[in-house]
Amino acid sequence: MAKQGKVEKLAPPITRQYVRELQRQNRMENLGRGWYKFSRNPLSILGAAMVLLVTLLAIFAPWVAPHPDHAEPFTDFGHAHLPPSLEYPFGTDEIGRDILSRVIFGFRLSLWMGVVVLALVVPVGVLLGLIAGYAQGTRVDTIIMRLTDVFLAVPPLILALAIASVLKPNLTNSMVAVSLMWWPWYTRLVYGLASTLRNEFFVSSAETMGASTAHILFRELLPNMISPIFTKMSLDMGWVIIIGSMLSFVGLGVQEPTPALGTMVAKGARFLPDQWWVSIFPALAIVAVVLGFNLLGDGLRDLFAGEEV
Amino acid sequence: MNKRLPFLALAVLWIAACAPAPTEVVPTPGKGETPVGAETPSAEPSLLRITFAWPLYVDPAVGSDYVGSTALANLYDTLIFPNAEGGMDLYLAESWDVSDDGLTYTFHLRSGATFHDGSEVLASDVVYSYNRLHTIGEGYAYLISGVTDVSAPDDTTVVFTLEQPSGLFVPSLVRLYIVNEDLVRANTNAEGPYGDEGDYGKEWLLTHDAGSGPYTVIEFRLEEYALLEKFEGWWNAAAFASNAADQVKFIGTTEAVTVRTLISTGELEISDQWQSVEAFQALDKIDGVEIMVFPTMSSFYYMVNNRIPPTDDVHCRRAMSWAFDYQAAVALEWPGTQQMVGPVPATLGGHDPNVFTFHRDLDQARAELAQCAYADELDKYPVQIDWVSEVPAEEKFALLFQANMAEIGIPVEVVSVPWLTVVENTAKQETSPHIVTIYVSSALPEAGLMIKDRYHSSTAPTWQQNEWLLDPELDAAIEDALATVDEEARFAKYLDLQATIMDMAPSLFLYDQLEQHAVVDYVDWTPEANSAVMGYQLFLPWIGVNR
Amino acid sequence: MRLLAFLARRIYQSIFVLLGLSVLIFIIARILPGDPARTALGARAPQWVVERLREDMHLNDPVPVQYVYWLRGALGGDFGISLVTRRDVANDIIEFFPASFELVLLAGIISGVAGIGLGTLSARHKDTWVDNVVRILSYMGVVTPAFVFAIILLLIFGLALGWLPAIGRLSDGIPAPPTVTGLMTVDALLAGQLATFWDALKHLIMPAVALALGALSQEARITRATMADNLSKDYIATARSLGIPERIVMGRFLLKPSLIPTVSILGLDFAGSFSNAFLVELIFNWPGLSRYGMNAMLRKDLNAISAVILVLGVIFITVNIVVDLVVGGLDPRIRLRAARSE
Repeated sequence: MAKQGKVEKLAPPITRQYVRELQRQNRMENLGRGWYKFSRNPLSILGAAMVLLVTLLAIFAPWVAPHPDHAEPFTDFGHAHLPPSLEYPFGTDEIGRDILSRVIFGFRLSLWMGVVVLALVVPVGVLLGLIAGYAQGTRVDTIIMRLTDVFLAVPPLILALAIASVLKPNLTNSMVAVSLMWWPWYTRLVYGLASTLRNEFFVSSAETMGASTAHILFRELLPNMISPIFTKMSLDMGWVIIIGSMLSFVGLGVQEPTPALGTMVAKGARFLPDQWWVSIFPALAIVAVVLGFNLLGDGLRDLFAGEEV
Repeated sequence: MNKRLPFLALAVLWIAACAPAPTEVVPTPGKGETPVGAETPSAEPSLLRITFAWPLYVDPAVGSDYVGSTALANLYDTLIFPNAEGGMDLYLAESWDVSDDGLTYTFHLRSGATFHDGSEVLASDVVYSYNRLHTIGEGYAYLISGVTDVSAPDDTTVVFTLEQPSGLFVPSLVRLYIVNEDLVRANTNAEGPYGDEGDYGKEWLLTHDAGSGPYTVIEFRLEEYALLEKFEGWWNAAAFASNAADQVKFIGTTEAVTVRTLISTGELEISDQWQSVEAFQALDKIDGVEIMVFPTMSSFYYMVNNRIPPTDDVHCRRAMSWAFDYQAAVALEWPGTQQMVGPVPATLGGHDPNVFTFHRDLDQARAELAQCAYADELDKYPVQIDWVSEVPAEEKFALLFQANMAEIGIPVEVVSVPWLTVVENTAKQETSPHIVTIYVSSALPEAGLMIKDRYHSSTAPTWQQNEWLLDPELDAAIEDALATVDEEARFAKYLDLQATIMDMAPSLFLYDQLEQHAVVDYVDWTPEANSAVMGYQLFLPWIGVNR
Repeated sequence: MRLLAFLARRIYQSIFVLLGLSVLIFIIARILPGDPARTALGARAPQWVVERLREDMHLNDPVPVQYVYWLRGALGGDFGISLVTRRDVANDIIEFFPASFELVLLAGIISGVAGIGLGTLSARHKDTWVDNVVRILSYMGVVTPAFVFAIILLLIFGLALGWLPAIGRLSDGIPAPPTVTGLMTVDALLAGQLATFWDALKHLIMPAVALALGALSQEARITRATMADNLSKDYIATARSLGIPERIVMGRFLLKPSLIPTVSILGLDFAGSFSNAFLVELIFNWPGLSRYGMNAMLRKDLNAISAVILVLGVIFITVNIVVDLVVGGLDPRIRLRAARSE
């Protein structure tokens, strides 16, 4: 997505159509260049591979996991707290369940939750931040940002408790709850960026050219914030997975015996350091998810922001 | 993005467990070498540090949980004192008489006992203490009920008049802590909800004591700790162990890793009882640390709602009772834990060791299930079992239940629920779940009191009863038993009550709770010498510190 | 002048934010399960005692009436009695806030300095092994909850090495310095008690680091991302071609504008720590506001909940104003418009 400033140098009459055509060409070129760069970066490929692997594991969990029954009602206290071994590569938990199998099943729920929550939160948070940042100093800015302040100021635990006492405990509601506490962070982040960018030369030129507000928000401002937003999103995959477990605690999220990575970490922490495997392996699984998404995210950023190099 | 998890390792104060019983002999820890970093110059006062679940209320009209009861037992004196045999000894009272109709009790105080400020303990202080407790109505006030009048004809005589005869009146006086009337009045805030009495000294007593007991509060930090000091002027000073601690610090944390660090670095002498089995096993491995174990007056119940399908059918309840693997559950607890026999803890006076008790028998379970009205449509009524989020150890028992019930075809949903929601849900019949798993402890060593707390209609709208029995016949039998003054006759009635309840199979009776503490080896503590009444197992004058 | 107008306007707006927040929280607090009076007094307290407390707290009145009672008190600095500590909420907050503030402040400093430092390092050595190491470490930092860090730190430095004290703000036998700010380290310095300062600092290190690690990792990532972007911008190339020393290019031209998103997140992390530090405070037995607030929530201590959240609201608003000011300072083109289109 080109900066308007470059286009202005061109001699032919600047019609809107002409600009669009130029932009399209430019975009295709950038995409091609970005893809080249993406495919040449081993880390990006690694990230894509990790995300793919984790996704496949999640989808085919019942066939891949060595003990698929351990993700269902199951107890075997005779095998509780076994350290990692050939039979149980990640050890067993206090119920005697295979942690490897539960991690594989845990990917299902955690990935789903992460993707859905981000899909709900990012558009809303970013849009509000863009509007407020572009309209800086106006009443719109005031209303949006002060509302954001109110939501940020309510501690997540009390919000979760309140939601839990109103809503039925299921996965959908828990995702709604997480989304409710999450969007203000994006609004704040984007607001900060937008209020800087709106003073850039290319924005004022677009304004002078009579570009619509939507054009300025999505074509001028947004492309220039992709980097921090993507970074935050890929980091947030991990956070959403962890925060989901907070809701299980207040009785809102998924309940045992359904495995969720965040819950496994949080519950396993009380067995540190003696039964370290109970929490460390699920934690590493979350790190793997986050790592995969971040490497992929960095690569994708190169893909989209190709022209900047 | 700092939204961190609220997973709590908070012990649940409301479900306070209880004390050592006189029966089991616990080995006294051997005297080994002192742990690294434990040396303290002998000139310094000896210090005993104990961790507890917070908050701590040291006001005798407010405190009643484990840490509060422990503090009160050490800061204040009472007319009578609970002994290791489950009975009551004379204490501040030198003697007492009861009228023939069982309605008037006269107590004669010993002279010479003084409060921490040096003033003498008088009969008028006892009257003031009773009135204060009764008017405020919190803490242990519910226990001392049915008193119509208290008076002090002279400085050493107190007369209580009762509404009706009660077998529990004298034992309940163990919770009447005598406060220093003059001192409390001097620190009373005139503004308060108690009319002429203002705030009854409540604000001041939050962080101070007005007692005559063996220890006194010298420093109190609300969220952190309380520091107690030995009271040399105690009337019963001869009872101090020669090496009784000069200062005792109650520390307000029960976090496993914190407790472990403190004990290893010689900054803690006695741990709280709220550690998990795994944490105690780890503490046990530390050099110079022993785990002390003794029975309590508390048991673990699965409270089954007797009013909603499918658990409103006694056959379904019996099927569940036969299908549950009690021995597997007991094996998850500290070694020595026993399955419950009957509906009350075995430590209580009047407990029937021979009452009918369920054991795991899948054939019996299936036979009972076949008779249940819902036998063919069990899938339509999944049984929801709620466990208390704040007590993570409860989860594995719920999962065991789920797996056991799957064997006979009863579908079970396990749900983690915060304590306040449990309290709210169990308050109404419509919101009470099929099963909620709760530890319940008895306030006095009387089987009848526990039965009343668990199954009398008056407790149905509280968390103490999820069963909703609402059985007028049972209510009458419980009331009759408790009003029986003669102990032998009263205990005989308790036996009948236990048989009746087991026949109804209203609950699943898991196990009698043991209490454990990690104790360093330079501390002399013999819990079996103490009463089973909550708070008295940590009677500080009898605990020695050798450094 | 602009600055003053901006501040005046924001403070004026804040009053409405706080009012809105108080209404919201008043409703939320009353949706929570349980009767606060019954919860405070226990299941066995007689009904008449519970009723009396409900009367005292105006719980039998309609919620709007309760709100008016509460607002009237709050405006006069009276937040009512806490059901957990059984004394004035205002007293509690005065007592517990400084402990949390000291902790969160140090954590904020650690995370800001180290996060921006690591992020800059990472960006300067983009796509080298330095960048990759920082990257992987920060992913681990981001996904690990603070209380897990607390446990790990305590196990290493408290248990295994024994270098740092496990609980509280001061060791047994060390008297607290006279209270001036409530910050133990600052008070000790003011009183000239160096030994006490050192002891207080040692108690502070582990909880502060545990709190800082997560935020630090995130700030490092964000700094790196923005710097890497800006590094490729024309103006940097221009500056370099003009022969401006690399140090100035990096520091003034690159770092400053790159810090804008970092500062936004840093501010939120800092303010958020006040409500999210409770497990860390629990593990280190730290008498802080976060732990107090959490206890209040779990026991439905209405007055304490409302007051704590109001305090958190003030903190958030203040931090956000400061962040907007700092962002304005980092990028002079952002005018702190006080009155546009009004």
